[in-house]
Amino acid sequence: MTGEKVLEIHHLSKTFGTNVVLRDIDFSVNAGDVTCIIGASGSGKSTLLRCINLLETPTTGEILYHDVDITDRKMNVPSYRTKVGMVFQSFNLFNNMTVLENCLVGQIKVLKKDKEEARKKAMMYLEKVGMAPYINAKPKQLSGGQKQRVAIARALAMEPEILLFDEPTSALDPQMVGEVLAVMRTLAKEGLTMIIVTHEMAFARDVSSRVVYMAGGVIEEEGAPADIFGNPKKNSTKEFLNRFMQG
Amino acid sequence: MSLPSDFFGRIVFILQLYGPSFLSGAGKTMAIAIVGTFIGCIIGFAVGIIQTIPVIKSDNPIKRFLLKLLKFILNVYVEVFRGTPMMVQAMFIFYGSSVLFGINMSTVFAAYFIVSINTGAYMAETVRGGILSIDQGQTEGAKAIGMTHFQTMVNVIMPQALRNIMPQIGNNLIINIKDTCVLSVIGVVELFYATKGVAGAYYTYFEAFGITMVIYFILTFTCSRILRYWEKKMDGPDSYDLATTDTLAYTSGMVKFPDPKEKEDK
Ligand SMILES: Nc1ncnc2c1ncn2[C@@H]1O[C@H](COP(=O)(O)OP(=O)(O)O)[C@@H](O)[C@H]1O
Ligand SMILES: [Mg+2]
Repeated sequence: MTGEKVLEIHHLSKTFGTNVVLRDIDFSVNAGDVTCIIGASGSGKSTLLRCINLLETPTTGEILYHDVDITDRKMNVPSYRTKVGMVFQSFNLFNNMTVLENCLVGQIKVLKKDKEEARKKAMMYLEKVGMAPYINAKPKQLSGGQKQRVAIARALAMEPEILLFDEPTSALDPQMVGEVLAVMRTLAKEGLTMIIVTHEMAFARDVSSRVVYMAGGVIEEEGAPADIFGNPKKNSTKEFLNRFMQG
Repeated sequence: MSLPSDFFGRIVFILQLYGPSFLSGAGKTMAIAIVGTFIGCIIGFAVGIIQTIPVIKSDNPIKRFLLKLLKFILNVYVEVFRGTPMMVQAMFIFYGSSVLFGINMSTVFAAYFIVSINTGAYMAETVRGGILSIDQGQTEGAKAIGMTHFQTMVNVIMPQALRNIMPQIGNNLIINIKDTCVLSVIGVVELFYATKGVAGAYYTYFEAFGITMVIYFILTFTCSRILRYWEKKMDGPDSYDLATTDTLAYTSGMVKFPDPKEKEDK
């Protein structure tokens, strides 16, 4: 069902105390979209993702998931989160569990799947990210890139409709960035709906269907990757990209 | 039988005559310490978990009020029992329960009760600290796959907190083995009380308490070794086995990665 609107954000704002972090954010996501969010550190990218996942409560505005406002108090938040997964910069794998258990626990405890089915699914996704041989390892025994691939498999095992990535490669040594991006490219090709906060501009240009540039808590500019990277309309976007490309 | 004149002779004499007293005293000491630590841990976990339940603004006001009230009462419990000597608590509870409420506790029941709630107060703080020490990312990882607060606690946070506070549980057990001797003030016949009786009979304080020193040390030392072994077992193996062939039968859509170990070989 590519093209159908799955997520719509209207006039979203978020304030911490007196600090306005997000201001009147509007955007929507269609099924199959890969949306990359770029922008300087502190511009509110993480907060936006965390609001979408309800790890932060939006101050005002609405977030419609299939036309249902998830900021409503009556919303069943855990059940919504099984549909909208999240991959973190710092992996957040469960340290008390093996790789396989990390991918099983949500399926069994939250989705109430039976063990055999859950195991098959977990193995399928671990194979996809190339971590199947490591099912018996504990997170502390893995490299950063391996941990992030497991974290992606854990999120996929829930079979979410949308997957959010918050700088999934920023905590990695340079030689491990590629292996995680490769997995994400595959997922994009397969049509998974993703919202990705990233500083990997080449990746954003090649993979995304749309790029959102954020600055100071607002969306400065959004559009097709070719436009944003090749022909940005706003000066601030141009300056950000120039600064970024220079390093 | 008369008392030998040399030190070791007297030790042997006392052991022959009063061995069973020492054993039953030691048994009572261990029973109180183990049961008290165990129940104390349960109390501590319950209290510690309640104290870390977040008060959410979106909850209804009555629920928020009750939660705050409960936390306040539990705080009072923790502070009072941590802030007063167990010996005084023992006297207060044992005699107070009969004066105030007309309850006649047996000394043994009082012993279990006092050690349990005393340990509970210490463990509550330990558990609370143990829960708060777990990285916030663990909670967020759990929430992100749809776990509720309760599921997150049971599956992710508590197992890690429990592992982190194992040394503290062990410490509490050892402290309880030693501190049960204060219960002699309410007439609990544990190791210290039993020893006093033995020592008084022939006026052999040095010898009797020499034996008791050794017994206490054996008890605490053995327990700390067992607990350390248990901690190691909880950590699991240091290395892991790579899973073998059948899981490597990759399905379609697989991304191939070089094995990091192969790279190192080159
Ligand atoms: N929990 C919080 N409390 C207060 N301020 C916060 C909190 N989280 C983020 N902020 C502030 O919000 C701003 C945006 O942060 P963030 O969304 O993490 O930006 P980005 O991910 O783009 O780097 C920053 O100024 C940060 O200090
Ligand atoms: Mg961020």
